[in-house]
Amino acid sequence: MSLKTIDIKEGIKLHEIKTNKFKTNLISVFLTSKLSREDITKKALILTILRRGTNNLQSQEEINKKLEELYGASFDCGIDKLGDNHVLKFYIESLNEEYIYEKEDILNKSLNILFDIVFNPLVENAHFKEEYVNEEKNNVKLIIEGQKDNKSAYATQRCIEEMYKDKPYGLYKYGYIEDLDKIDSKNLYETYLELIKTCKIDIFVSGNFDDTKLEKGIIENQLISKLEPRKIELLNEKDESNQKENVVKESMQISQGKLDIGLNVKSKNKNAVSVYNAILGGGANSKLFQNVREKASLAYSAGSIYIKPKGKIIIKTGIEHKNYEKTLEIIKKQIEDMKNGKFTDEDIKNAKELIIASFKSMQDEQDSEISFYFGREIQRESVDIEKQIKDISDVTKENIVEAANSIEINTIFFLTKE
Amino acid sequence: MEERICKKIKEKCYMEKLDNGLQVIIVPKRNLQKKYIIWATHFGSIDNEFIDKESGNKIKIPDGVAHFLEHKMFEQKDGTDSLYTLMALGIDANAYTTNDHTAYLFECTDHFYEGLDELMDYVQNPYFTDENVEKEKGIIGQEIQMYDDDPGWQLYIGAMDCLYKNNPIKIDIAGTIESISKITPKILYKCYNNFYHPSNMVFVAVGDFEPNSLLEEIKKRLKKSENRDEIKRIYPEEKEEINKKLEEKEMEVSTPIFMIGIKDKLPENDIVKKHIGIEIILNMLIGKSSKLYSKLYSEGLLMGVPDIDYEFSSQYAHVLISGQSVDPKKVNEEVLKEIEQMKSAQIDKQEFERIKKKIYGDYAVEYNNVSDIGRMFVADYIKGINSFEYIEKFDQIDENYIKELLNTVFDENKAILSIVKGEAKN
Repeated sequence: MSLKTIDIKEGIKLHEIKTNKFKTNLISVFLTSKLSREDITKKALILTILRRGTNNLQSQEEINKKLEELYGASFDCGIDKLGDNHVLKFYIESLNEEYIYEKEDILNKSLNILFDIVFNPLVENAHFKEEYVNEEKNNVKLIIEGQKDNKSAYATQRCIEEMYKDKPYGLYKYGYIEDLDKIDSKNLYETYLELIKTCKIDIFVSGNFDDTKLEKGIIENQLISKLEPRKIELLNEKDESNQKENVVKESMQISQGKLDIGLNVKSKNKNAVSVYNAILGGGANSKLFQNVREKASLAYSAGSIYIKPKGKIIIKTGIEHKNYEKTLEIIKKQIEDMKNGKFTDEDIKNAKELIIASFKSMQDEQDSEISFYFGREIQRESVDIEKQIKDISDVTKENIVEAANSIEINTIFFLTKE
Repeated sequence: MEERICKKIKEKCYMEKLDNGLQVIIVPKRNLQKKYIIWATHFGSIDNEFIDKESGNKIKIPDGVAHFLEHKMFEQKDGTDSLYTLMALGIDANAYTTNDHTAYLFECTDHFYEGLDELMDYVQNPYFTDENVEKEKGIIGQEIQMYDDDPGWQLYIGAMDCLYKNNPIKIDIAGTIESISKITPKILYKCYNNFYHPSNMVFVAVGDFEPNSLLEEIKKRLKKSENRDEIKRIYPEEKEEINKKLEEKEMEVSTPIFMIGIKDKLPENDIVKKHIGIEIILNMLIGKSSKLYSKLYSEGLLMGVPDIDYEFSSQYAHVLISGQSVDPKKVNEEVLKEIEQMKSAQIDKQEFERIKKKIYGDYAVEYNNVSDIGRMFVADYIKGINSFEYIEKFDQIDENYIKELLNTVFDENKAILSIVKGEAKN
């Protein structure tokens, strides 16, 4: 495996990951801009509008027919928050030519379709197609309302929202229903043009390909050559949420309660915090899983996630409503024990194994590997996977205790029955 | 070992049936870091009645035993839990129960043989006590509640309830809080001794392996046992007709979700060919390039491409189409109308070839990932299929066959609709 990065223009990069492990080539285009309340809903709409049609392929039906002809190449798109940045993601995965039954330049054709979708949307009289905008406004409305359908994800989003009240990171990635009325096909297209002019653009290609041919195909693509260079300023406010033990309860019709706890992490030693998080709530051997689920039989699920770019940990549990106090007490005890160094060398070893295994297996997954390198690109880090593994191995107990003592509860969010 | 090559996608698998009846399948994947092992027994949630090997008596067990057993297998006599022992090695271990099988698996990059030791040890050494069985009832009770809150799962169970009158597929895999309360160590041992015999199991390994030497390593770790005849399973009689047309549930969902089902006859020969054919039809009917999907999407009746599926075992077979819609009944009506339309019209040659390419691509992509391959080989083996057949039988499908399937399988009288919608606001 090797990563090669080429600056196509200022602010526009091509990242090539050569590998022969897969049946497929995976191409992605990431558009990164600042998270902001003003245009968050518009950007979510842009994501959904772009997949509707291009000036060449004017409808989803047309796009999909083209993809099916390429042996069922699949297009996907998504939206994410990465630190205080808002990322629109577009992917096409298609079979490598080695595995098809007729000869076809699938990779190049896939690239062209993806660029067409992102950079050449269907435009009528200097605005997006009216009909598509109206339909997608309705679609985004349903997505936002649908947030509550996945109770566990909803509880986590609400916890983060409470931790980052009125701050970019607290925003919901799909935006807000009240914005939709003010959006029309004209102002949405203007926002799109501005975004394409100013955002950071990263193109990733993972698979087995001829790099000279690939680079030529991308650099000579008309849509890419039309893009202007741009200065990139990414935003990453440090630690702007430091409230303490803010308790919020919300009720809905639900038979299992969701208790999420957001933690502030002051320590800058990210590797030590990663190991801390794995000991606390990383897997089935973690303190949370063992003490909340196994010993006390209080929960079906109990674990924690580390949001690296923001320096926050979120503990997630699914519990019976009546067990709120008891569960909270046990969780606090685990956090306290970590501060006092009450964990064994065995715990450290297990945690490291868990993290290292996840880094190693990443190389067997095209999308995870791309996400890893993209995260590194955004955080302006330059460690590769091997170095990352070594850094984790080098973390000591002292490092972890130090990290533990920089951690405090920020918000306790409980989703419970009515 | 017997070698089978799948030329089109350049994959091989090695197979051997051991003397004790265990089927071993090894799929080598050169240069991958990940190794995946999955060991499954042909014992799922629908296997609720059988003839006991020891006594020859007919035994009926409470709903949810297969799943309960899956949970309890990890617990060891010395007080350790194999799941944690594996996780401690950085090995991702898990288990799951479906309608027709229960599987124990792990995926790792390092410590492979330690993982193999542990897996083969715990699957062959059950340890159930009154105390540990009682405690598990609390944990599984929580899991059942989680399913109760899961609109997608309730939708599926609703669909099964419409399709089947007696088939246990309509019962929650985990059982109910009431049914699991009746589970005892004795019942668990009884089921273990019947169903966890090598002759009722399949062992699949995917990763950078040399097949023969891995086979020796597996044999070394197996307890001695004699081959046995197949287990006699008893299933309630099920008519060809559906149970009921419609089931609606109210839960907290923002947009209603729906599942259209069509009951099919129990599988006969050439089920793989039939499966591929039905997938082609479903893509032509409501896939992402279909006219119907475009129409329903632009009318705001669908928010995304519906999921399409053909599920079958020796005891059931049905087509499923599911998605999200503000008006599920209208979608259902349109789908049924379109099916009739397809029956009377000519098959569009170009469309047919395009969908075939797409489905070929879908099958080939399955070979990207060790866990997808492992699970696929297990699920297919339990149904009497070698997964390569899907790529091999692909060429045999023509328009006439599609026409025939349309007329025999897609019968409006066998169609049902399950809906989960938000509660009526007062």
